[in-house]
Amino acid sequence: MKIKIFAIAAIAVLFGACKKDFLELASQTSLSAPVFFKSQSDFQQAINGAYAPLRGLYSGTGGAWAMGEMRSDNTTYKYNPQDRGTIEPEFIKDFTDDANNGVNGNKYVTDYTIIARANQVLEPIDAVEFDATVKNNIKGQAYFLRAFAYFDLVQYYGSVPLHLKPAKNLGETAAPLSSVETIYNQIIADAKQAVALLPDKATQEAGRVTSGSAKTLLGNVYIVLKRWADAEAILKQVTGYSLVADYNNVFNPAQKNNSESIFEVQFKEGTEGFASNFFYTFLVQPISAAEITAITGIPETARTIEGYNIPTPDIIGAYEAGDKRKDASIGFLTAGGLSYPYIKKYAHPHVLTNNTNDNWPVYRYSEVLLFIAEALNEQNKTVDALTYLNMVHAHPRTGLTPLAIATQAGLRDAILNERRVELAFENKRWLDLVRTGKADETMKAYGIRVKANPQAYYFPAGISPSASSYTNIRLLFPIPASEVALNPYF
Amino acid sequence: MNLYAHSGRRLSTYASKFLLVMKLTIVLLITVFMQASLASHAQKISYSVENTSLVQVFGEIQKQSGYQFLYTDEMMEGTKPVSLTIRNGSIEEVLKKCFARQPLTYTIKNKIIIVQRKAVASAVPSQSKLINGNVTDDKGLALPGVSVTEKGETNSTITDVNGNYKITVKGENSVLVFRYVGFAMQEIPVGSNSTINVSLKEEQRSLEQVVVVAYGSTTKRNSTGALETVNAKELQDIPAAQFTQKLQGKLSGVQINQTTGKPGQGMQVRIRGGASVTAETGPLYIVDGFAIVGDISNINPNEIETITVLKDAASTALYGSRAAFGVVVITTKNAKAGQTNISANAYTGIQSVPQKGRPDMMTGTEWAQFKKEYYEDLGQAVPAAFQNPAQYGEGYDWYNAMLRSANINDYSVSLNTNKEKFSSSVVAGYFKQEGVLLNSAYNRFSLRSNSLFKVTDKLKVGFNVAPTYSWDKSPATDGLFFGSGGLIYNALLTPPILNYQNPDGTLPTTVTTPGVTAFPTPNWVRSIQDIKSGTNAIRLLSNAYVELEPISKLVLKSSINGDLGQSTYTFFQPATASRGFASAPSALGANLSQDNNKYYSWLSENTASYTKQLNDHGFDLLAGFTVQKYRRDFTNVSGYNYPDDRIQTIDAALVKNNPRSDLQEWSMISYLSRLNYNYKGKYLLGASIRRDGSSRFGINNKWGNFPAVSAGWIVSEESFVKDINWLSFLKLRGSYGIVGNNNIGNYRQYANVSSGINVPFGSTTASGSAVTSLGNELLGWEKSKQLDIGLDLGMLQNRINFTYDYYNKKTSNLLYDLFVPRESGFSTFFGNVGEVKFWGHEFAINSNNLVGKFKWNTNFNIAFSDNKVLALSGLSDKLYYGAGSGRTITRVGGRIGQFWGLVQDGVYKDQADFDSSPKSNSSQVGTIKFRDLNGDGVVKYGDEEGDRTIIGNPFPKFVFGLTNNFSYKKFDLSVVATGSYGNDIARMMDQGTANLDGVFNVLKDVQYRWRSPENPGNGKYGKTTASTGDDRDQFHSRYIQDGSFLTIKNITLGYSLPVQKFKAIKSIRLYSSVQQAFVFTNYGGINPEISTDSNGNAPSSLAQGFDFAAYPVPRTFTFGLNVNLK
Repeated sequence: MKIKIFAIAAIAVLFGACKKDFLELASQTSLSAPVFFKSQSDFQQAINGAYAPLRGLYSGTGGAWAMGEMRSDNTTYKYNPQDRGTIEPEFIKDFTDDANNGVNGNKYVTDYTIIARANQVLEPIDAVEFDATVKNNIKGQAYFLRAFAYFDLVQYYGSVPLHLKPAKNLGETAAPLSSVETIYNQIIADAKQAVALLPDKATQEAGRVTSGSAKTLLGNVYIVLKRWADAEAILKQVTGYSLVADYNNVFNPAQKNNSESIFEVQFKEGTEGFASNFFYTFLVQPISAAEITAITGIPETARTIEGYNIPTPDIIGAYEAGDKRKDASIGFLTAGGLSYPYIKKYAHPHVLTNNTNDNWPVYRYSEVLLFIAEALNEQNKTVDALTYLNMVHAHPRTGLTPLAIATQAGLRDAILNERRVELAFENKRWLDLVRTGKADETMKAYGIRVKANPQAYYFPAGISPSASSYTNIRLLFPIPASEVALNPYF
Repeated sequence: MNLYAHSGRRLSTYASKFLLVMKLTIVLLITVFMQASLASHAQKISYSVENTSLVQVFGEIQKQSGYQFLYTDEMMEGTKPVSLTIRNGSIEEVLKKCFARQPLTYTIKNKIIIVQRKAVASAVPSQSKLINGNVTDDKGLALPGVSVTEKGETNSTITDVNGNYKITVKGENSVLVFRYVGFAMQEIPVGSNSTINVSLKEEQRSLEQVVVVAYGSTTKRNSTGALETVNAKELQDIPAAQFTQKLQGKLSGVQINQTTGKPGQGMQVRIRGGASVTAETGPLYIVDGFAIVGDISNINPNEIETITVLKDAASTALYGSRAAFGVVVITTKNAKAGQTNISANAYTGIQSVPQKGRPDMMTGTEWAQFKKEYYEDLGQAVPAAFQNPAQYGEGYDWYNAMLRSANINDYSVSLNTNKEKFSSSVVAGYFKQEGVLLNSAYNRFSLRSNSLFKVTDKLKVGFNVAPTYSWDKSPATDGLFFGSGGLIYNALLTPPILNYQNPDGTLPTTVTTPGVTAFPTPNWVRSIQDIKSGTNAIRLLSNAYVELEPISKLVLKSSINGDLGQSTYTFFQPATASRGFASAPSALGANLSQDNNKYYSWLSENTASYTKQLNDHGFDLLAGFTVQKYRRDFTNVSGYNYPDDRIQTIDAALVKNNPRSDLQEWSMISYLSRLNYNYKGKYLLGASIRRDGSSRFGINNKWGNFPAVSAGWIVSEESFVKDINWLSFLKLRGSYGIVGNNNIGNYRQYANVSSGINVPFGSTTASGSAVTSLGNELLGWEKSKQLDIGLDLGMLQNRINFTYDYYNKKTSNLLYDLFVPRESGFSTFFGNVGEVKFWGHEFAINSNNLVGKFKWNTNFNIAFSDNKVLALSGLSDKLYYGAGSGRTITRVGGRIGQFWGLVQDGVYKDQADFDSSPKSNSSQVGTIKFRDLNGDGVVKYGDEEGDRTIIGNPFPKFVFGLTNNFSYKKFDLSVVATGSYGNDIARMMDQGTANLDGVFNVLKDVQYRWRSPENPGNGKYGKTTASTGDDRDQFHSRYIQDGSFLTIKNITLGYSLPVQKFKAIKSIRLYSSVQQAFVFTNYGGINPEISTDSNGNAPSSLAQGFDFAAYPVPRTFTFGLNVNLK
C-alpha cells in the first residue's frame, strides 16, 4: 500500500513539475523581434546592422565592380582556359549574362537586405521614446540607406518592387513592380528626409553617412533624372569637404574617411571578418605565390581561378599624358611570367593574405565637383562648368594644366572623360555610359576591338569571346530568375 | 486436446495447442529457483462464489495468488460448478475445496498447479515405464521448461534447467509429446527405449511470436497494425557497425541504403517511401521505450534482441508527434529466465574495393594523347610533356593509391544471469573497422548492463545503462573536388602521368609540375594520411523504471530515461597537406577546426495499463503521460597559419578565428491513451490517441492530437473456413490514423534577431543586430493521415506466410523552409505549406520450402511506392532545390524532388547544324547542344523561362529484399539480396570527370568528344576549345543514369561443431561470410545506393539521388565464431 501511495505521489510530482512555460523555449543565442526594438541601444544596433550588407555589395566575385565597372570599357577579365569554374562575371562583361547570373542576383538581394533592415528601424522607431538627437540621426541613416539601395536598384534594374515596411508574414514578402517614377519619387523623399535629419560630417561618427552624403546622393539622383537645376542647388550645399593633396592618399587606408570622403564602405583588416580583399579579387590569375609576394611583400599562396576587373588598354589610354592619377590608379605586375596591368587604388600594405584594410569609395568630393560642372554645363553655364571641371582636372595632385573648352558638347565629353579617369575603378563608368546614352555605341565598338584582337584583351591564343557577345547591349539587368519564380506578381 | 495456460485469455487456435504462453514458461522457470522462498510469499485468498464454473474459479485464484493452472479442455469435461466461501485462506485450503467433488486431482509444482484426471492418476498400469531424457534445440542447446506429456493421457512434466526430464508412461505403446514456445511440437513413440533425447526445431515466425508495439507488446496474431519484427539473431553474421546496415533487404517497405562506405556511417533509412519535403525523413528510434534523439550509429548491434518496425498510423500513433516517417523500436537483451550463460561472438574480416564500378579514367598514355589533342585543337604548340603519349603507358592509378585492404573486427561477450530476485544481462563489445580509404577508421567500445530487481511479486525495479565510447578517423573523402573535401574526387582528377611516390617510396607533399598541372596540386595520397580528422564521442544511454502491480493486471510503470553525450570533432591540416586543387600545402594554409558538442535528453514516462477478460470480451487499456527535454551546446574554435605541425592545438595558430557557439533546446509534453478490444479472440479493435505539445511551434499551435483506430478479423477462426485445409491462418486488418512531424529546427516560430552583425566605422567596431528570419506565430504540426489495409495469410500449417499491405498517406501542413522573394530581406519562411500523397503496396512472403533434414527457408519482400504533390500553398506551386549545379523541382501534380535540367541533343556537329539549331549565348560549333523545349528558338537555362524539364526520378518504383536460409545437419547457409528498380541517379561527379578544360584526368569516354566536323565523336561531349561551362555547369540529361540494382548483400556459411562431450560448452559455431558480394547494376558508379550532398553528407529530402563521388562500399570477407558456455 505504501508503495502505491508513493507511486501516486511520484506521478503527481512529475505532473506538477511541468510548469506552464515548459514548452516556451526561446533561443538563448539570439533575441526575437517582439523583445527587440525597445530602446535606444536596440535601434543603434539595428542601424549598424543595416550597414553590414554594404560590404558584400561591393566585394567578392559578385561585387558591385562587375556590373558597375567591368560591364564598361574600363576593365575586363583575364580568360583562364584551365579553370572555367567561376566565370559568371565574364558573362556580365560580354553581355551574355542572363537572369540566372549570380553577380546580378547578388546586387539585387543585397540591396533589398539593406532596405529590409532600414525598414525594420523606421517602422517601430517613432513609438519608442529616447533622445531626439540620437533618434533623428538613426532615422536619417536609415532613410539614406534605403534611398541609396533603391537608387542602386532602379539604375540597374529599372522597375522593381517597392517595400517600405518590414515583411512580417508570407504574403508581405512579395510586392508588385512599381514604376521607375514611383521609385524615384520615393528615393527623393527618403534622401530629403536624410538631408534634414542627419548631422554634418563634423559631428557625425567617422564612417557613418552624413547630411553631406545625403545631399550628394540626392544630387546624383537629380543628375540621373537630368533635373540639372535641382542638382546644382543641392550639390552646392555639399560643404566642408576638400580634395586631398596627393591622389594616392585618397585611397590610403591610413587616411580613411579623409577630407575628400563623403561616403565610403567601411572595411577593417584583421580577423573580425570585416577585411576587404579587392586587391586579390582584381589580381590577374593564374599567378604564383612569389609573383603576388613581389607586390605585397607578405607570404602568399598561388591563385589560379580567374582575374577580374583588369584595366583594359582603353582605360590605360584614356589618361592624358602626365596625369599623375594614372600611376596612382594602375600598376603592372607579372603573372605566369607575363606582364599585366592591375588596379593599384586598392593595393596597400597589409599583414595577412586576402585580408586588406581598403575601404571602398562611394562618393568623393571630386565627384561632387564634377557633378556640379555637369549640371552647370547642361544648363548652358559653360564658363562656370569649366571652372568646376578644372577644380578637379587641374588640381595640383593631377600634374595637369587647366582645360580651356568653350562648347557645351566639348565640355560634356571632357567632363565624362574626367569622370572616367578621376573615378576610375569606382564603379561609375557603366552608369555614366548609360545615363549619357553612350553605352550602346561605346560597347559595340569595344566588342569589335576585342574580337579583332582578343590577345590584346588578355585572351590566350586560339580563344575569343563567343559570337553573341557585345551584340546586344542591354542597359538594364534582368530581375534575377529566382525572384521572378517566387514573386506571384511578376 | 487443448492445453491452457489460464492467464486471462483463452487461446483456442490450432496453433495455440502447441504453445504455452511465454509468460507461463518464464514463471515456471523462475520458480525453480524460488522454491525456498515460496512460503513467505504465499498469498492469502479471500473468495466467495456460488455455482461458478471451475475454469472461472481457477481464473480468480490465479489472479489473487499468482499461481498458474495447467490443464486441458478434456479434463474440464464433466467438472462440477463450485460454491465456496474462503476468508484469508491459504492456496492449499482453497484448492482443497475446489477439487473436493471433482473428478480431478492436482499437484503443485513450484507455482504451477498441474491438474490431472483422477481416474488416470489413480490407475497407473502395472507395466508402467520410466522414461528419462534430454531436450535440446536443433543446435544442441539445452531447453529448460519444455512440456513433456504422454499422448492421450494427463501425466506430464517439464524439463529442468539442463533440459532433462523424467516421466512415467503406460508402456511401450505410449507416445511422448514435447511442446515448447516457439518450437514445433514433436511426438515420439516410446517403444523399448528408456532414454529419449529430443531435439526440437524452431518454428519459423510463429504467430504467437511476441511483437513489441508502442508502449507494450502483443502477438503477431493479435496485432492489427502494419509492423515487422526482426530478431537480432538473424543479423549477427553480417559484418557492420550499425544495425541498420544489417537490416538491408530484411523488411518490406523499408528502404535502407548505404549512401557512402565510410566506416560506421552513411546509412539512410526510409520507411514507406519516406519521402517528404522536410529536412529529416528518418524514422523515430525507440530504444527500450526511450525516444532517442539523433545518432543511432554508436549503438552496438550485439546489444539488440529485437528490432520492430512500425509502419502504419495505428502502430505509430502512440508516438504521434514524431512518427510520420515510421518508428523503429529496439529492445535490448535481457536475461532469459532460467538461464545463466556466457556467450561470445567474434569475427574478423578483410575489406577491399571491387574493381567493378570504379570510375573508368584515362591511363597515362590516353591522357597525354588527350592533352596533345587539346593543344593541337587550340592551334598552340604541344608542350614537351605531351609530345610522345606512348611513353606513359598505364600511368599511375591515383584512385587505387588511395585505397587499401582493411581489417574489420568485432568482439562481443555477453553474460546473462537470472537469479531469484535479480536478473541481469551484460554485453561488452569492441568493434574496430579500418576503412578501405587510407587513414579512415571507426572504433567503438560499448557496454550495456540491463538489470531487473523483483522487490516483491508486485514491484519490479529495473536499470539499464549503456555507455559507449567511439572514435573515428574520417578524412574529407567525399564530395566535390572544389570546396573543402573530396579527396577521392581529387585523386580521380589528377593527371595519371604524375607519380604520387618518390623513387625511394616516400610521398612528396605536392606533385605540382609546370607544364602538366594547371594548378598547385597537392599529393592526395599524402594529404589523406597527414590530415587528422575525426570524432571522439562518449555516450551514456540509461533507463530506470519502477513497475508496480497493485491489483492483478493493473500495471503502473514509471520510467526515467537519459541520453547524455559529448563529442569532439577535430580537423587538423598540417603544412604537408591540402584538400583542394590550387591550394598548395603550406604553413600558411595549415589549419585547425574543432567542434565540441554536448547534449542531454531526458524523458520521463508514466503509464498505467490494465487487462481484463470478461467472458468472450478482452480489454486492454493504457494511459500515460510523458515529458521530454533536450539541450545541446556547441562551440567551435578554429585558426590557421601553423608555423610548426608538431603543435596542433589552437594555441599555436598564428591566426585565430572568432570562436562560435550555439545552444539548442526543445521540450515536449504528451498524454497518451489506448484501448484494445477483442471478441472471442477473432474480432480485434484498437483505438488510441496521443496529445503532444512541442516547444517548436507557435504559441497557439503547440498542441497536436494524434488519434488512430484499427480493426482486425481473424477469418480463419470462422467456422466457414475451418474446413479449408491448406488455410491455417487468415487475418484481415485495417487502420486509419494521424501522425505528426515536428522534425524542424528550434525557434523557427520566432522572428529571430541576430546579434553580431557588426560593422567597423573607421577603426572602431560597432555592434549590430538585424532581424534575420521571418517569424510565424501560426507554425504548427505537420500531419499525416494514413490508411492501411492489410492481410496476413498462413498456408499449409503456416509453412507459407504471406503479408500484404496497401497504404495511402496524405501529409498536409508540410513543414518547409519555403523560399520567399529576397526582396523581403529574407530568404525563407518556415511554414506549413501544402499536401503530398504517398501510397504503396507491400508484399512479404516467408516460406519454409523444405523442412526435413535439408531445410530451406525463403523470405521475400517487395514494396512499391509513389508520391504526388497535391498542393503547395504559399507563393508558388513549385519548389526548386539546387544541389551543386544539380537541381530538382517539386511541383503540384508531380512527384517530389525530380531532377530538373536540360535535355542534351548531341553537339553542334557542324556549321549547318549550328545555323539550323536553337542556340544559347555561348554556343559554338562543337559545343554541347540542348533541346529548345519551350520552342522560343533559343536555348535558355532558367527555371521559369528556360528549357529545363524533368529529366529523372530519384525514387524507385519498387525495392525488394530476398533472404534464403539453408541448413543441413550442422551446416547453415544464408544469402541476402536487396535491390531497387526504376530510380535514377544524377552522376554529378561527371562535372569533373568529363570536364573539357583539359586540366583534369577524364573518363576514357571523353576521347570520343567533338574535335572537328569530320571528327564529331560520339555526340556526348563538346570540344575543349570553347565555352566548356555549358557542358559542365548546366545540369542536363547526360548526368542522369538508371540507378536500378540488385546486390547480393551477404552470403554466410556456418558450421556448428559437435560439442556434446564438453560439459561447459553448449555450442560453438564457425562461419564465414561475404558482405556486398555482388552488385548487379547498369549504373556507372561504384555504389548505386549513393545519395549525398556536395559535401558528402546526408542530402536534403528534395535532393536525393545525387552522386558527388563518395566513399566506396567495400566487399568484406569475414570469419566468425559464436560460442555459448553453460
